[in-house]
Amino acid sequence: MSRDIVIGAGLAGLCAALRLAQAGRPVTLVAKGAGGLGLSQGTIDILGYAPDRVFAPLDAVRAVASDHPYSGIGPDAVAASAAWLRDELGPELLVGDPGVNLHLPTALGSIRPTCLAQPSMVEGAVVGGRRYVVVGVRQLKDFSPELVAGNLARTPAPDGGAIEAHPAWIDLPARPGEADASGLTYARALDDVAFADAFAAAVAAVAGECDVVLLPAVLGLRRLGVWRQVSARVGRPVAEVPLQPPSVPGIRLYEALLGRLRAAGVRHVQGSLVTGFQAKDGRLRSVTVAAAGGPRELAAAHVVYAPGGFESGALAVDSYGTIAERLFGLPLTASSSPDLVGPDFWAPHRLFQVGVRTDAAGRPVDGEAAVYANLYAAGGLIAGAERWREKSGDGIAVATAVRAADAIIGGAA
Amino acid sequence: MARRLTADVVVIGGGSTGAGVVRDAAMRGFSAVLVDRSDLGQGTTGRFHGLLHSGGRYVVSDPGSASECASENAILSRIQAPAIERTGGLFVAVPGDDPDYGDRFLAGARATGVPAREISVREALRREPRLNPGIVRAIEVEDASVDGWQLVWGAVNSAKAYGAQVLTYHPVTNIEVADGAVRVVRCHDQRRDEDVLIECRFVLNCAGPWAGQITELTGLPPVPVVPGRGIMIAMNHRLVNTVVNRLIYPADGDILVPVHTVSVIGTTDVKESDPDHLPIPAAEVQQMLDAGEELIPGFRQARAVHAWAGSRPLIKDDRVASDDTRHMSRGMAVVDHLARDGVQGLLTIGGGKLTTYRLMAEHIVDAMCDQLGESRACRTASEEIPYDGDAKHYTITHRLADREADRLDDQIICECELMSRSMFTDLLDAQPLSTLDDLRRQLRLGMGPCQGGFCASRAAGVAVTEQAVDAERASGLLRLFLRNRWIGLWPILHGDQVRQTAIDHWIYSGTFDIEHLPEPAEEVVR
Repeated sequence: MSRDIVIGAGLAGLCAALRLAQAGRPVTLVAKGAGGLGLSQGTIDILGYAPDRVFAPLDAVRAVASDHPYSGIGPDAVAASAAWLRDELGPELLVGDPGVNLHLPTALGSIRPTCLAQPSMVEGAVVGGRRYVVVGVRQLKDFSPELVAGNLARTPAPDGGAIEAHPAWIDLPARPGEADASGLTYARALDDVAFADAFAAAVAAVAGECDVVLLPAVLGLRRLGVWRQVSARVGRPVAEVPLQPPSVPGIRLYEALLGRLRAAGVRHVQGSLVTGFQAKDGRLRSVTVAAAGGPRELAAAHVVYAPGGFESGALAVDSYGTIAERLFGLPLTASSSPDLVGPDFWAPHRLFQVGVRTDAAGRPVDGEAAVYANLYAAGGLIAGAERWREKSGDGIAVATAVRAADAIIGGAA
Repeated sequence: MARRLTADVVVIGGGSTGAGVVRDAAMRGFSAVLVDRSDLGQGTTGRFHGLLHSGGRYVVSDPGSASECASENAILSRIQAPAIERTGGLFVAVPGDDPDYGDRFLAGARATGVPAREISVREALRREPRLNPGIVRAIEVEDASVDGWQLVWGAVNSAKAYGAQVLTYHPVTNIEVADGAVRVVRCHDQRRDEDVLIECRFVLNCAGPWAGQITELTGLPPVPVVPGRGIMIAMNHRLVNTVVNRLIYPADGDILVPVHTVSVIGTTDVKESDPDHLPIPAAEVQQMLDAGEELIPGFRQARAVHAWAGSRPLIKDDRVASDDTRHMSRGMAVVDHLARDGVQGLLTIGGGKLTTYRLMAEHIVDAMCDQLGESRACRTASEEIPYDGDAKHYTITHRLADREADRLDDQIICECELMSRSMFTDLLDAQPLSTLDDLRRQLRLGMGPCQGGFCASRAAGVAVTEQAVDAERASGLLRLFLRNRWIGLWPILHGDQVRQTAIDHWIYSGTFDIEHLPEPAEEVVR
């Protein structure tokens, strides 16, 4: 029997699979790896810079250029898709208003706009006049409270006010005798109530006078209330600051979405690369999956292709500078890289805006026509945005996933 | 008011030549000051392919250089073992190469004293399984891999132990000549924003491709230095574990050197006018990849991690066409400004190569002694340069063994290059004014596959935590480091390095929003 095939386990693939399954469709999610959420900051950006700091992301979405991924979607659909994801994950994991950006501190001490955030983060929202204490953990190398506090203190808050920030440290190995632990090791340790108590007590002892305590984003992986436990003990709001990968908040989102998918009956084939496809009369009939023992054919009613962009290898540049999409050989907005990157590190790099163009239903097009009547693209594959610069990757992923799923559900194909 | 110093000799240039010269001069009892406009080993010395020549490359084209390389290779392997990995080398002929060149090579090797021995193709392929299986001849030589920065720092630390002073980030602003002799070198201490005046008897101009700019400061006609630019590409991992050369008359892209965690293909040779602006043209990148493909099938599918361009300090030789830099004298040339310009106390050295840096130093210090009428013997060839720890030859597994030993007690800041936190903080403590790039050259911070993606922000954070810098400077240093990495990334942005670059951008721009830290009033540049 043909099922809807979703390729990719990043935010876009997970959202598309969930949405399709909730509509009662049989769905198989095929992914080579664990998706990109574990590499992300673990919030849902909609649009952070355009190019100036954005306070009302939906207004900015309305104003994007015509070749931007949001252009054919519009602010209402972007808002609805983000709200849908927020409500799917629930207030223990995602809160906020799609119309309003939060401005949260980063692990370098910059103030980053994002939209929906985990409740463990929102108290970090930078407000002038607030006093922050930034607490590092000696055994965790990815978070220097002196760097965070020093930069916050020299940065005007988005409301124009000044910020007071001071560093502090705790010394508490996640595993006895280990000087070098990743954020993930701490998160797992903090899933244990007794360790979390010890951690909270250590933070309380150094927090001093402040309004908010900023902590590295390692406050539990499976147990979502660790931040409340720490906050209660410290007697003040605490807020998590996302770290470089592995991202504990990102993995929380990934695991929560996987849980929702399983509950909705999605088949999940993990660790398998899609290596080929069969098409007839302008429609995909099946995809070929590399599996132990040999290739397997999965018959496809529809395919949502959400493999990511250059970071995943779905879009690739060979040693001659030729840009190509790996699986379907889809037409791209550019085919040769040398003129698309330049010597200025800070300038936009057009290479990373290359991708597929889609029709209004989200199907990759060659010229104006869909390449395959039942192939949809979602997420980082779609051309027109340098997502890390704009802070728009999550919103694009969710909105394009919902667009593709709803087109399939609505029978647009 | 300028800071005043007095010295017998001022050595200008902190590359390998200057480092060797200041050591040699100090060991002969001269009070010596080395000045450089930036950090040690930041010019040509840091921008080569990492080859310690056996001499094999020159046995046919330049027999004198071949003999010098052979003897210096043996000397450096003895006196600076920790900077050198005794990889051994192969010269291989691929299909289409002149098969008779091997005979001329072997004859040349015998004549020049370069150890060389033909081995079977089968044996060569056994040693280096990735080699082109179609190779028709293979000759083994004593090529080695050398860390130019370890070489320079070793020599400079030895010089300091003999009383020399080393002033980095001190560009020379003027050289004062009075009564036909050099009297004073003026520099500017950029970090303290302070003029420095050094009264001296002698100036040794070891500025390499910049030597012409230095002689111009004296008001003399510039020495005819012709920067010969070459590009190199570091490929991730060691595609080979011995140096592999093409068994042909020296040409472009005919050397592949395993250096630490990478292998480096080089190089090209293009005349340039300005050693401060060395492009990495796309056509030359393609040329190197093609050349690599001839030695190692599948080379183009391997991951290029970084590229750079260096500038040979060639002295113009009227017998060679002025645009043919490959065949300008690679031999060292000492310009005596007393004979040439009537100015006493000034010598300029050009040409040469990193492998012969010690010998170049010996020659120019000998020439200085001659002019001063003093007889002081050179001792640099016999005295080992002290390094921390044991004096064994470097091996690729050193750091892994170190990290396995301290894994519970220390943190790994740069996973690619296995640089620990204490390695970083110890050096930062000793050299607190360093940029992250200055530290990188000694520690290999950020030189692996991720090109700083995971370690550079950590390093900046540690520097603030250790109170070496404040958050503002740390942020400026981080920005500088990322900018500098990019110089060598964008010209080779293909294959897996595109994925890596995307992930690095997701981290720095995506998660950290680094571009919205407060704009520095002035970019940190040193």
